[in-house]
Amino acid sequence: MTLVMENVSKVYSDGPKEFKALDDVSLELQKGEFVAIIGPSGSGKSTMLSIAGALLSPTSGTVFLDGENTAHLSKRKITEKRLEKIGFVFQAANLIPYLKVRDQLRVINVIAKNKANSKGRELLEHFGLTHRTNNYPNELSGGERQRVAIARALINDPKIILADEPTASLDSQRGREVVELLADEIKSRGKSGLMVTHDERVLDLCDRVVTIRDGRLEE
Amino acid sequence: MFLAIRELIHAKFRYVLIGFIMVLVASLIFIISGLAKGLSADNASAIQNLETDYIVVDAEAESDITKSFIDREKLDEIEQISGVEKANTLSIRMMNASVNGTEQNEDVALFVTEADGMLIPSITEGNSITQDNEVIADSMLKREGLKLGDTLKFGDESEYTIAGFADKQRYSHTSVLYMEASGRDRINAVTIQANPGKIDEIKNGIGNDFDILTAEEALQGIPSYSSEQASLNMMIVFLFVIAAFVLAAFFYVITLQKRDQFGVLKALGAKTIYLVKSLLGQVVLISVICIAIAVGLTMGIKALLPADMPFLLEVSGLIQTSLLVLTVSVIGALISLVQVVNIDPVEAIEGAGK
Repeated sequence: MTLVMENVSKVYSDGPKEFKALDDVSLELQKGEFVAIIGPSGSGKSTMLSIAGALLSPTSGTVFLDGENTAHLSKRKITEKRLEKIGFVFQAANLIPYLKVRDQLRVINVIAKNKANSKGRELLEHFGLTHRTNNYPNELSGGERQRVAIARALINDPKIILADEPTASLDSQRGREVVELLADEIKSRGKSGLMVTHDERVLDLCDRVVTIRDGRLEE
Repeated sequence: MFLAIRELIHAKFRYVLIGFIMVLVASLIFIISGLAKGLSADNASAIQNLETDYIVVDAEAESDITKSFIDREKLDEIEQISGVEKANTLSIRMMNASVNGTEQNEDVALFVTEADGMLIPSITEGNSITQDNEVIADSMLKREGLKLGDTLKFGDESEYTIAGFADKQRYSHTSVLYMEASGRDRINAVTIQANPGKIDEIKNGIGNDFDILTAEEALQGIPSYSSEQASLNMMIVFLFVIAAFVLAAFFYVITLQKRDQFGVLKALGAKTIYLVKSLLGQVVLISVICIAIAVGLTMGIKALLPADMPFLLEVSGLIQTSLLVLTVSVIGALISLVQVVNIDPVEAIEGAGK
């Protein structure tokens, strides 16, 4: 089990009013498993992904990342855990605009103080991006950008891949290719994947689909 | 610096623009500082270089040596006070001298003191004065064509011969001439060398009718000195404030534009301290480059200035001002740092954490 969420709730209070973004949610991810979260907008998908990725802390309940309870970790330690255990693929790729493709991957090594990591070139070759290593993100197509983002998520060899609407900025064919790639990598490298999406055409590529409605999970 | 340098290179245009402003502001700071130092020296280098610890003036003179009048006998009295090691008289007269009996006239400040006293400056050319009709002249007068052996005449007084030249002897924007004080009963001031620990004793000994000034207080007492320096210093302070605000505004807007990236980097696992260092690295790098260019520019401008323009740039002053500009830039970047610290990594996930 790489990611475990146990009875997780997240409550936002806006003055006297309380808003339950997540209500007693539990989820377990196995190694090699790729799970999609779907649901209408505002249902709590993004909150769930943020809590799974240790970007938000839950109001109640526990999150275990690779067996470790994150509740007792300092902010600094949580940042380290994110770097070590989690790979993110954001909506619209969110690449750093002033870094060339090669440096988009290298920056993770720099942050992780792991300059010896030479997997970047291999990953770019694997994703068919070798001819793009010296290009800036604005010179890439949407699909290429998302492929760079996936390579970036993988370079640090994390246990968990979290994807936030990876197909949002792509047409359906490109979107499907990106999710296929993601599913392949998660399977072949033995990662766990959790993807928020509203694109129902890619759900067949996932092992499991959970629906979230008004903060509650329905399988 | 991985991110810092790559961003600077990628967004060169905007950084060149801000760099340009910084170079201009820094150059202006250097030039006005040079001018302030130059004017200060031109106005008072003779006082700044005076070999004395304290200057005794009469209490009604309000620290202005030329307004002070003391009887000569006071010198003997002061010499007797315990704690006073050496004492000499000093009188200052603003005069006009005719050169070699020709039409050429020069404004000069006469510093009248004992020829064997401590106030006589070190000679850079010629000899010190040994006779009553000899003077030591400020070497700036050489630019006016004066040389050793030239005679000077003040009104109806007798002729004086230039026996030697000394450097950096200016008072009230005029060159100074040192001459022997014998035979003069009314003096402006008594300069003393004394142990600073005994200053209270000396004060008691001299009495309440007299003030004891340090050289710095005597400088401030020169009528034009403090107003000249104050206006220039105000300009310099304003330039520092402008530099800080321009940089603050620039980096604030740039950081605002980069919020998303900072959110993504934090979500990916970059520590806040890494991003802070990156931003500070950029500020320091830009500032150092701009200051270096500004120093070069100022040197170039200095070379173009006419030789008699009062402009003084010393390495120590230049380094001090440079460090101050750098500090001010970093202070200007502080509000952007606060922004960077406050960015929440959850912003990388759209729609979360609202």
